[in-house]
Amino acid sequence: MALRLDWALSVVVWLGALLLAAGLARRLALWRQGQPAPVAWSGLLAMPRRYFVDIHHVVAREPAIARAHVMTAGGAVAILLALGVNYGLMRYWPVLDVVTLACAVAMFAGAWQVRARRRAPPARLSRGSWNRLPYSLLLFAAGIALIMALFLLGPFALSRMFGRALAALAGIGLLLGGAELVLGIGIAGPMKHALAGLAHLAFHPRPERFGGRSTGLRPLDLRRPGLGVARAADFAWNRLLSFDACVQCGKCEAVCPAYAAGQPLNPKALIQGMVAAFAPGGPEYAGNPHPGQPQSSAGAVHADIVGSVLAAETLWSCTTCRACVEACPMLIEHVDTVIDLRRHIALNRGDVPGKGSEALANLRYTDTVGGHALAARHHWAVDLDIRVLGEGMNADWLLLVGEGGFDMRYQRALRALVTVMRRAGLDVALLGAAETDCGDLARRLGDEAGFQRLAATLIATLNRYRFAHIVTPDPHLFHCLKNEYPAFGGNFDVHHHSQLLAELIDRGALSLTAPASGGGSVTFHDPCYLGRYNGGFDAPRRVLRGIGVTVVEMPRSREDSRCCGWGGGAAFTDIPGARRIPDMRMDDIRASGAGRVVVACPNCSAMLEAVVGPRPEVIELAEWVAERLAVDVP
Amino acid sequence: MSGNVERPRIAVLVSPAVHPVSGRACAGAADLAALALGQALVASGAPDVFYAGAAPDSALADYLAHGCRRLLVLRHEPDQDVSASLAAAVRPYDLVICGIRSGGGMSSGLLPYQLAELLGRPLLPGLAELSLDSGTVRGAQSLPQGEQRLLEAGFPVLASVHPRAATARPWRFAGLAQGRIEVTPATGCGLTECAFEPERRALPLRAARAERGHERMLQAIAAGDGQAAGLVVNQGDSVEKAQVVLDYLRHHQLVDY
Ligand code: SF4
Ligand code: SF4
Repeated sequence: MALRLDWALSVVVWLGALLLAAGLARRLALWRQGQPAPVAWSGLLAMPRRYFVDIHHVVAREPAIARAHVMTAGGAVAILLALGVNYGLMRYWPVLDVVTLACAVAMFAGAWQVRARRRAPPARLSRGSWNRLPYSLLLFAAGIALIMALFLLGPFALSRMFGRALAALAGIGLLLGGAELVLGIGIAGPMKHALAGLAHLAFHPRPERFGGRSTGLRPLDLRRPGLGVARAADFAWNRLLSFDACVQCGKCEAVCPAYAAGQPLNPKALIQGMVAAFAPGGPEYAGNPHPGQPQSSAGAVHADIVGSVLAAETLWSCTTCRACVEACPMLIEHVDTVIDLRRHIALNRGDVPGKGSEALANLRYTDTVGGHALAARHHWAVDLDIRVLGEGMNADWLLLVGEGGFDMRYQRALRALVTVMRRAGLDVALLGAAETDCGDLARRLGDEAGFQRLAATLIATLNRYRFAHIVTPDPHLFHCLKNEYPAFGGNFDVHHHSQLLAELIDRGALSLTAPASGGGSVTFHDPCYLGRYNGGFDAPRRVLRGIGVTVVEMPRSREDSRCCGWGGGAAFTDIPGARRIPDMRMDDIRASGAGRVVVACPNCSAMLEAVVGPRPEVIELAEWVAERLAVDVP
Repeated sequence: MSGNVERPRIAVLVSPAVHPVSGRACAGAADLAALALGQALVASGAPDVFYAGAAPDSALADYLAHGCRRLLVLRHEPDQDVSASLAAAVRPYDLVICGIRSGGGMSSGLLPYQLAELLGRPLLPGLAELSLDSGTVRGAQSLPQGEQRLLEAGFPVLASVHPRAATARPWRFAGLAQGRIEVTPATGCGLTECAFEPERRALPLRAARAERGHERMLQAIAAGDGQAAGLVVNQGDSVEKAQVVLDYLRHHQLVDY
């Protein structure tokens, strides 16, 4: 009798393996609808490290559920391995039964905690089949534990009526719970995430992000027809795979500024929309929809994504702030998805909403966002007697001003920066009318053609001049030059002004003799393109510490900072929501109790300055440093 | 009346403009309106588009981006009169639409008149609106001070349109690759000598009474001397004040509810 049960379990193990393989093959066929993409098979070897290091890095921010997951998933994997060896290969070693039993107990305990959380789930979690999952896991763990216990007790246990009844019960639990595990990927159930997630780790579209930062957008080949992604099959196959890794945890939803503002964008629904687009007919999405939009409908592989699974406004609401990417435990790249879809609209249909089209036309004809004459960019500096770099001249530091040069408020910050740099004895020069836009806005709005033209223009200009370093107070310009120009042959030593100021203060190159003005507490607003995009969290804080300012941190600071609402051209497309993002950020600032907020970006400055008062005062980093020098900013 | 009433042949004339800030070549606002009208009136959405002159193809690319599928260029040497070759090229068309003036070059706005003269056809100039009705072109000519004059003429006919006459299709990068420019060499005689004279200023309107606006407003709202019709309400809450305004509007039949 006992022997026959052993065999039965062996049959079940093999059946499970076959079903799992069949499900995987089915999903693979769906992924292969995508475009070919070069992937390194070495990714498979790197998978464990990526799992235990990179994912852990994100998951550990929520320790309780992370522990529960380790117990559940670790237990399940160990059980499957042990069953495979012991029963799949028909070894029937009792010692492995003991191991399996222990793992089953651990898994049960983990799944129990998951179930406890599911009873009052945070709003960001999806419901539907995800609510079923902890029960399936509990059934599976309990079934395995019982069977192992019965095996260990030996034939004696099974010779009793009670024992047989227990065995039958355990068998049913094992089958029901096991079905969730082995069929998950085939029927696109919640357990799809396990295999898809591991494969996604191995074949991640941005392998450079492991052990580093990879935030620059990928160049688009403008000679190839199509231009961007219209249908699901236009994505590379490993991008389709990445969408399948989503566990619908909604961490992206919880941090998305556009979602919080009631704009029609929910990053989780966005990713699930992509899944619906390449694998129609899967289980219905049971999470929050894009605000103000009907629950997304089923897609069709050959239908345009925009107009079927999502509306264009969803794409244009994104500020490309990367808060979602930073929060995602499955390392999914939402911003790349948004940009690929935007590219198709901008390049093929040209209908960028709001002021977006106008800004793109300005860039096309004047190389400035606002449609200004290039020479006007440096009007703020006419009386500063600052050198304009000419051909054949030499400068140590080239100051790239960016669009902030046209903004009367930001010109104060620029003058302060020049003053500080000169006091530190730096040799600084401007580009004058030769400075053209870096193309950040064009690229984020999907106008890759406009971006590539602007990038080529600025790279050619910069290559004509002789200078050692570039400094800019604009994190968007900084990001473009540092992370996106190398793909176009532009390699420059570029610094954000916060980094330069921190270095000057650390070196003691500035004599900070004037007393700091104003009392009250101060907070710092991390610009997305300096922080999440470039890891520039410490430099601005070092500067503030260096000038004797104590920063009260907002709960949403550093990696968790909330966007000011400008990024990605969102201030131009201006998709209506229930609230405005800068107002919400100002509420964060108010809640910190600070009377002043320090910014380090012309766009954050413009967005936060535009919040109606009474509100905390907005100060640029360089302005405060200049205040501590015993000179007046001219 | 000649031409095909059901499927009229429509030509659109365009030329490069100069961007007012950067001086770069771009599409002219009025020519874009002409192109948009042509696109709307031709069943295929792709009217025949002509340019005559010396500008390089790159200066015309914007029209392709705005949805022009085929741009026929009569390539002249610089500083030549293009009206004769253009007239010959557009003679087979029932309706020729162009912008009221180009956004570059001399921008004299004379070309439509020259063409009309050479072709012996009527010209409906400066239209803010254009529609076709079985061989008849109707349009509203936009005049200063917002006045309009309705014009109409039968095929074949020319029309020059105001930049506001139609909204151009959006600029699309993909359009650059989808449209093509076909160049035919053309010759013309040298430009006729012309004398420039300053634009004559329209006479400013005179107010009926020689008072400043502020004084007129004061008279309108002055109360107390019994003369003016005005009424100052500074008592009561906002609902009561609004009621006074509403009564006034009703009394003068300015609202009908
Ligand atoms: S995309 Fe990432 S963060 Fe968002 S729900 Fe899916 S797994 Fe969670
Ligand atoms: S990048 Fe920012 S705005 Fe865009 S979806 Fe992610 S969190 Fe939302």
